[in-house]
Amino acid sequence: MVTCSTTVEMSTHLNAGRSAGLFRVFFAFIIALFRKFLGGETIFVNRFRAPGGGEVVLAPSLSGHIIQKTLQGGQKLFVQSGSYLASTGTIDTRLKFGGLRTLFGGEGLALLECSGNGNLFINSYGGVLPIPINGSFTVDTGHIVAFEGNLDFKVRSIGGLKSLFFSGEGLVCEFSGTGTVYIQSRNLSSLVSWLSPLLPA
Amino acid sequence: MKYDIIDSPDYALLQIVLSRGEQIVAESGALVAKDTGIAIQTSMRGGLLGAAKRKLLGGESLFQNTYTASSDGERLFLAGAAEGDLRAKVLERGESFFLQSGAYVAHHGSELKIDTKFGGVRGFFSGVGFFMLRIEGPGTVFYGSYGAIHDIELSGGSYTVDTGHIVAFTERLDYRIRTFGGFKGLFFSGEGLVADFQGQGTVSVQTRNAASLASFLHPFRRIKPRSNN
Amino acid sequence: MHFEIAYNPAHSLATAYLGPHESFRAEAQAMVSMSSTVRTETTATSKGQGGFLRGLKRAAFGGESFFQNRFSTDGSPGQVCLAPALTGSMVVHQLSVGRDLFIQGSSYVASAETVELDTQFQGFKALFSGESFFFLKASGQGPVLINAFGAIEERELSGELVVDTGHLVAFESGIEYTIGKAASGWIQSFLSGEGFVLRMRGHGKVWLQSRNPKEFGSTVGKLLPPREG
Repeated sequence: MVTCSTTVEMSTHLNAGRSAGLFRVFFAFIIALFRKFLGGETIFVNRFRAPGGGEVVLAPSLSGHIIQKTLQGGQKLFVQSGSYLASTGTIDTRLKFGGLRTLFGGEGLALLECSGNGNLFINSYGGVLPIPINGSFTVDTGHIVAFEGNLDFKVRSIGGLKSLFFSGEGLVCEFSGTGTVYIQSRNLSSLVSWLSPLLPA
Repeated sequence: MKYDIIDSPDYALLQIVLSRGEQIVAESGALVAKDTGIAIQTSMRGGLLGAAKRKLLGGESLFQNTYTASSDGERLFLAGAAEGDLRAKVLERGESFFLQSGAYVAHHGSELKIDTKFGGVRGFFSGVGFFMLRIEGPGTVFYGSYGAIHDIELSGGSYTVDTGHIVAFTERLDYRIRTFGGFKGLFFSGEGLVADFQGQGTVSVQTRNAASLASFLHPFRRIKPRSNN
Repeated sequence: MHFEIAYNPAHSLATAYLGPHESFRAEAQAMVSMSSTVRTETTATSKGQGGFLRGLKRAAFGGESFFQNRFSTDGSPGQVCLAPALTGSMVVHQLSVGRDLFIQGSSYVASAETVELDTQFQGFKALFSGESFFFLKASGQGPVLINAFGAIEERELSGELVVDTGHLVAFESGIEYTIGKAASGWIQSFLSGEGFVLRMRGHGKVWLQSRNPKEFGSTVGKLLPPREG
């Protein structure tokens, strides 16, 4: 939150999905606390309400762009969890993991499956480029912002064994089918590699 | 090979379209996305011996990746690690310039020479972190900056640049490295060094520097747990 | 002496143009490049000896110290290029007598010698977030160069506004504020990720930045290799 008018109220909730039963809520709470303490993404969300009207200004933590997508009907958009900024209406977000390693905030893909009716605000590290796919397309996992729900995707290492250890590239996501992938032009993993030799002990 | 630089100077992204069999060599970590048909091959820079020598200089990856297109029109998207701009420099045979090592992203052309052994430019940094590369054509080199790139044209006069802000400069310029007269703050990696350039040529300056970012981020790092021996 | 800014909003670079026998002051780490006709000297030392800052306190927060360099010319004109540490914008504010400006410590870049700087410490620490921040008071007249992490937005306050402390760049005197938490309760503060806010009231200008340096620092910092304690 950057600024808000004094008429806006903020409350914090567990994001377990709108129709979550007790078990899902419990599971989500454990996952959320687990990840919060390990420094991963949290799935607590803040709800801003202003019964009499008001203004809220939101910003993400990394430099880059914000795009708005309107979802309706049965449309589904998968959003990389760090790229979710805010949503309105009845949009539901469910956390999905692209591999067990992401539970610990490591490499891999932590995705939010978004569906419902409303506006979705997504942020990127760097610029965003929408890429329409018709066939097969490969994206470095650190560069994925979001992709349409009808695409198939598979997370794997970029090349053979040698590439896995030495290429300096992490995991990639191979998309197939027809739909749009949104890619970002910067990623934190590369920033860390670039900066690490300059850091003192 | 056709290329396009998108989103310059804020978060520049390099889009390359290759013909079947064409190759691009790129820095580790530069890959953003590609058509699945493009093959990747990892190798050591300059062979095993050259790579071992390079590791001693620090701040550079031992490995590079070669991307080869399997059919016409395949796309490759590359970007530098830092928030900033990206440029392409097309070099004729024998044409050369100096490039800060952290700025290198990729190149096209099997005859392009990337030399890290050039003794004359070793003084630029303390030896920890970045160093200068000498790039000689023929070929195209793609390089990125932290921040925007601001070109300074020198025609006989003299100009001083903080070494952390140097991206590239033309070979004919004279230069002298010294410590900065004023106070440069709590810095590591040999900062506090400036280069006095003189003569005819161009110095490409980047508007941000990595050492300041490292300095800013340092307090946010986790603390190593103490081990009792 | 005046400042000109290029490459906003992400990679801003300010150029200070000096005529003969002119000078200005800048934050220690800001120098990118300068013409050979410019001299530098440090105006504040670690012992806090005199200089141009009244009541200077060495404000050390997360390794940051407030030191300045004084740049001056003799008989010839000169230029100095300045940049902050992080990606973002810069803006020049023309200060006038009686309309003082409070500038968040890390947002100050440079100012004319006709501007007086006072450090006013707002030493408010939070239990969980470890937030603390200090403000500089700029009074007098002349240009002040301010930086923002991200884009800078100038707002005319008339009434009340709640502002996250990490997004506040500067505000004019005459605006009152109280510090509070964005969320109710400590657990809520911890879980919501929202830290401290200033509830601002009155009339005058407020400058905001579109990104929060501490949030950026902790997002990236935890991914960096751990450091010695």
